[in-house]
Amino acid sequence: MPINSTGTFFRDPWLMAGLFLSIFFAAVTLLGPELAPFDPWDISFAPISPPSARHFLGINDGGQDIFSELLFAVRNTASFGLLSGIIALAFGIIVGLIAGWFRGLVDMILMRIADVLLAIPAIMILVLTAALFRPSPWILALILSGMMWPSISKAIRAQTLTLRESLHIKSATQIGGGNLYIIRRHLMPEMFPLYLIGFSEKARIAMFMEASLAFLGLFDPSRKSLGMMISYALKYYYMDIWWNWLLPPIACLSLLIMAVTFLAISLEKVLDPRLKEIVGA
Amino acid sequence: MVSDQKQSVPRRFVLVISYGLAALAMIYLSYSLPHLLPGDFVTAMYSSSDVSLTPDQEAELMAYYTENSGIGDYLVNLLTLDWGYSYAFLTPVSTLFFIALPWTLLLLGAANIISIIIGFVTGVEVSWRRDSWVEKGMVGGITVIEGVPEISTGVILLVVFSLNLQWFPTAGAETAYADVSFWARLIDICHHLSLPLATLILAYFPGNFLLTRNSMMMVIKESFVTTARAKGLPAWRVRYLHAARNALLPLVTRFGLRLAFMVTGALVVETIFSYPGLGTLLFNAIQARDLPLIQAIVLVSSLMVLATILCLEIVYRIIDPRIQHAN
Repeated sequence: MPINSTGTFFRDPWLMAGLFLSIFFAAVTLLGPELAPFDPWDISFAPISPPSARHFLGINDGGQDIFSELLFAVRNTASFGLLSGIIALAFGIIVGLIAGWFRGLVDMILMRIADVLLAIPAIMILVLTAALFRPSPWILALILSGMMWPSISKAIRAQTLTLRESLHIKSATQIGGGNLYIIRRHLMPEMFPLYLIGFSEKARIAMFMEASLAFLGLFDPSRKSLGMMISYALKYYYMDIWWNWLLPPIACLSLLIMAVTFLAISLEKVLDPRLKEIVGA
Repeated sequence: MVSDQKQSVPRRFVLVISYGLAALAMIYLSYSLPHLLPGDFVTAMYSSSDVSLTPDQEAELMAYYTENSGIGDYLVNLLTLDWGYSYAFLTPVSTLFFIALPWTLLLLGAANIISIIIGFVTGVEVSWRRDSWVEKGMVGGITVIEGVPEISTGVILLVVFSLNLQWFPTAGAETAYADVSFWARLIDICHHLSLPLATLILAYFPGNFLLTRNSMMMVIKESFVTTARAKGLPAWRVRYLHAARNALLPLVTRFGLRLAFMVTGALVVETIFSYPGLGTLLFNAIQARDLPLIQAIVLVSSLMVLATILCLEIVYRIIDPRIQHAN
């Protein structure tokens, strides 16, 4: 599945929109603490003040600067998504390659486990562990990626099954290439597009999960998150706060998830050869 | 055909076994996780709540929670609907669960049926108008909607239509204590249902639309579609009875795959609109740290999702000849 020309790749408007938004949020995630004008845990301001020149999104109920809070929230939500996406991708690649290359019993057992994990609602496992143990968000991200790898590994396994019948893999086996050599030098690089698609899909699910869990109040209340900002702001809906307090986290969350959605959809369109014949024509 | 059926039966059997094992694993997890808590269950439950216990009460609770210590007893209790006692609502957990369940089923069922119909019909129609501005606009707009998460849609609909315009109620599934006729009650229920339903439809139908369109794009080029058109069949017959039938199956497959993920959205949407289903019950249980209730909702709803997916897999293994051949 090679990328045959960078021309079609960068002509897709959705991909460009996704890339642009991702770069923007990556910058916010990396530079958030530098950009924040105040400490988001500083409670020394007048609670529920409207926006002013100093605090351009105003102050929340706890006397904290909303703009600084927003920057930290984007950082937390995005990094949760990226981390679970990366770990799920790593699991998915390893399992998919092993199942597709070795086949047989290993394949069957791994794919049955994958089927089962696909059927269990990940949010329920996260709610249970979060409610019982109050673990750190990183542990939850790890558990989530442990639930998310199956669909990636299924795609990789299917592609491995096709690739192993292709001529160049056969000749690599003929000249005596070992399992590890073929997997590392031939299979892994060739499936690169699948990694991008899988990663952006999983990062999207993970960001959505993080916002939902935070919205439900399952994280440490002092940890800034977009979901938690929405849930707190919604409690004060009767005051005139919705455009400076409720709207910014909603907009950020939507744009963040849109960024990864656009990437996932357009990467699939550009890189999946079956779809490209029809859509990219 | 004979050999196919011979093969598909064990495959179905394998599925039942692996989902059965998954169900057992879930039950075991929900049984053993509380035992892993530092200290005992009672201290863990009450130390973080506002309740203070006398030594007598503590001993009594201890006895209540530790008498069924084996996994066997736990299974028996699960099957006999003895899921413990919610200390936040002071009601048996199963009672609370079965009051909330119908509302969730109504909301999720209606949202899925409507979004599959809308997604399918628009998908078919749009793919027929390939390369027109209608297609480009629809695909673009729907891709944007696909990117907006349920939390955002829900909160925006709530703020605009309930709080500012006051067209729809902000909470609940029906007007409390309203003693009205059957039809008035039905209208009342629909009125309460509309905003959460709209939120979920906006979340679900873009995926169905994009999937239908993609499969239709491949089907349209097939020669049987050309034949059907050449025979002079009416356009709607070609579209729906010949071409679109082939795009329907991926929708069913996808439904099974997405069900486990849909639970998240339903949970959040119910909470936003205070819709009295399982999601809101779970949210309230989390707020009150009501562990028996959290555990029961998590376990039973996961088991229900597992059972639904198993049924779907068996059904579409029967209806799709291609899946039978593939195995």
